[in-house]
Amino acid sequence: MRLSFPYMGPTIVYKKLFELLGHDVVMPPKPNKEIIDLGVKYSPEFACFPFKVITGTYLKLMEKDVQTLVTSGGHGPCRAGYYGEVHSKILQDLGYDVELIVIDSPHDDYKYFYELVKRLKGDSSWLKVARVIKTVFELSRALDQIEKKIEIIRAYNDNGTINQIWMEAQREFHQIKNTSDIKRIKNKYLKKLSEFEESIPGEDKRFKIGIIGEIYVVLEQSINNQIEEKVNHFGFEVERSHYLTDWIKENAFPFMGRHLEEIKEKGKEFIEIEIGGHAQGNIGHAIDFKEKGFDGLIHLKPFGCLPELVSQTVIDDLSEKYEIPVLTISIDEQTADANVLTRVEAFLDMIKEKDYREVM
Amino acid sequence: MRKIKIGIPRALLYYYYFPFWLKLFSELNFETVISDNTSRELLDRGVKKSISEICVPIKVMIGHVLNLEKNGVDYIFLPRFRSIKKDVVVCPKFMGLPDMIRHSLPGLKTPLIADQIEAESDDISHFSNHQKLAETLNISKMKMKKSLKKAADFWHRYRELLFEGYLISDFYGIDDLELLEKLISKIENNSKKPQSQSQDFEASGSEEVVDIALIGYVYNVFDQYINMDIINKLKEMGVRVHTFSMVAEEIIEEELSRLRKPMFWEFTNKLYGAAEHYFKNNQIDGVIHLTAFGCGPDSILGQILEVDAKEYKKPFMTLRIDEQTGESHILTRIEAFIDLMRLKKENN
Repeated sequence: MRLSFPYMGPTIVYKKLFELLGHDVVMPPKPNKEIIDLGVKYSPEFACFPFKVITGTYLKLMEKDVQTLVTSGGHGPCRAGYYGEVHSKILQDLGYDVELIVIDSPHDDYKYFYELVKRLKGDSSWLKVARVIKTVFELSRALDQIEKKIEIIRAYNDNGTINQIWMEAQREFHQIKNTSDIKRIKNKYLKKLSEFEESIPGEDKRFKIGIIGEIYVVLEQSINNQIEEKVNHFGFEVERSHYLTDWIKENAFPFMGRHLEEIKEKGKEFIEIEIGGHAQGNIGHAIDFKEKGFDGLIHLKPFGCLPELVSQTVIDDLSEKYEIPVLTISIDEQTADANVLTRVEAFLDMIKEKDYREVM
Repeated sequence: MRKIKIGIPRALLYYYYFPFWLKLFSELNFETVISDNTSRELLDRGVKKSISEICVPIKVMIGHVLNLEKNGVDYIFLPRFRSIKKDVVVCPKFMGLPDMIRHSLPGLKTPLIADQIEAESDDISHFSNHQKLAETLNISKMKMKKSLKKAADFWHRYRELLFEGYLISDFYGIDDLELLEKLISKIENNSKKPQSQSQDFEASGSEEVVDIALIGYVYNVFDQYINMDIINKLKEMGVRVHTFSMVAEEIIEEELSRLRKPMFWEFTNKLYGAAEHYFKNNQIDGVIHLTAFGCGPDSILGQILEVDAKEYKKPFMTLRIDEQTGESHILTRIEAFIDLMRLKKENN
């Protein structure tokens, strides 16, 4: 099948998945001004921002003669689980003949899921499918491992130099065929990065920021105005609440997500029940970051995000109780780079100032 | 001895369940205090205490909670709706409502009674949905069950009348249980048809009567302040108003079964089913989707309805309300919409 998918985070993982299964993969374009404008034009006004970006991505892909789009589903109550249905309605209304394959959890509709997997696997044997899934999972793990390191080292080094290495690594990962390739490339780049480790100062001089929020805006750099780089630029280390590996674990292998369950448990203090999206988990992560000694939190969410609005409402109280500063940024098509930069800078200045006074 | 005062905010699902709650607390021998009608002042206080991005109904809700606190009650009854149908939930904001109230109003002194409601149908009278209430107020399980049964029976009578074609606004505004009971009995024994079904309803100036389906959540359609009294405005213009609560559950189910997967929010599903039903219904001249600023589920529903309305060639309009909607804006738009439909009727 000639297929494509929405752009979120390290897209090479999805690309590899379908490529290794023998499909003709069209890489989705990275979200930019043009795609966002296109998406905004054809999406409902109050749809959340990720929806609009994905609409734009799909419409752009239509130029490349894609027959099939593959996306993830869900069972709510976050709107994201229903994106697929609405997107196919919009595309149909615009007259495009394209099939949207929504991967729902097997729990919701076992038969549908089975049929779908059978189609996606194509001619590959089940053994091969298992091998491909393992390879892809290893790939996402390797990418996350490198990225976590970069998010620390970049704080003390020239952004450009480190980004260069990161880009090279991603480029090289595009060529992988099996797990041993992944291992080789991973070790190569981890070694390269460890040369910079000397620049990390003593524990008392390190500042750490945790980024929590809605998964799409947290993972997708081109949408969140490269917030991690901005924070790094001011000499602060970053860690996110979401990495692709966690997402895969959560959705494909729930039994591996024990650690995430524990974090969610912490969130119960503020949000008693699971309300969809990652709201409860994010609150848990916020407390977890504080316990790990982080100095501040940046809470990212798309404008009007349902679950994150609930977490935003309770987060002031959390910030006060746990004594951790929180900056909430709503992201939509109007968000300007300078605005984000100014707010992040002021926030980080405040954290440094606070620390300085406490030491005095 | 003074009766314990239970405060119920006049917001969100109050409009759907108020006969149930009024009856329940009266059976349990408590005094119920309903917050005042939504007003500029009440809304402003709510807006001030909520984050700016959140939808208007939640801001209204916060205003009502503050109003109850000001008026002095012993407890605020604020159930956490999780689901009213098997495997379908409601909007995340409903599910996190008590959390939001607790953590965004740290100054709130009145304790909340926040039972989690997880029912398999609209009937929420199961004991498990009221455990905290029984615990907090020290009510025996037997008494609770008995009162719940009575309240549910009363609510079903009300719901039945809604199915028959009465509007929630025909009952709403009566906070006194006795009056409400009298009204319901009177309507039940009355042979006159409700406005939405009545053939002798006449528009002023001998204009043609039009039928409009007003698709929206109960707290938007029936809060007279927030929607600028749209129902009465429509009636004055010679419109028979139809709402989702008049559509039988089986019809809604049937419409929903046509979707590959239904939406995740039960009330949105109800609106969807009702709207699709009205699109196909020849008696209905047009459909208005009344939605609140920042409503997430409606952004999805609205898009689907817009596309489907085109398919059925039914006039369709989205009216969005927020805390600053001007009266003339609503008036102009519904007037234009109705004129359009009259013109269409004449041309046919």
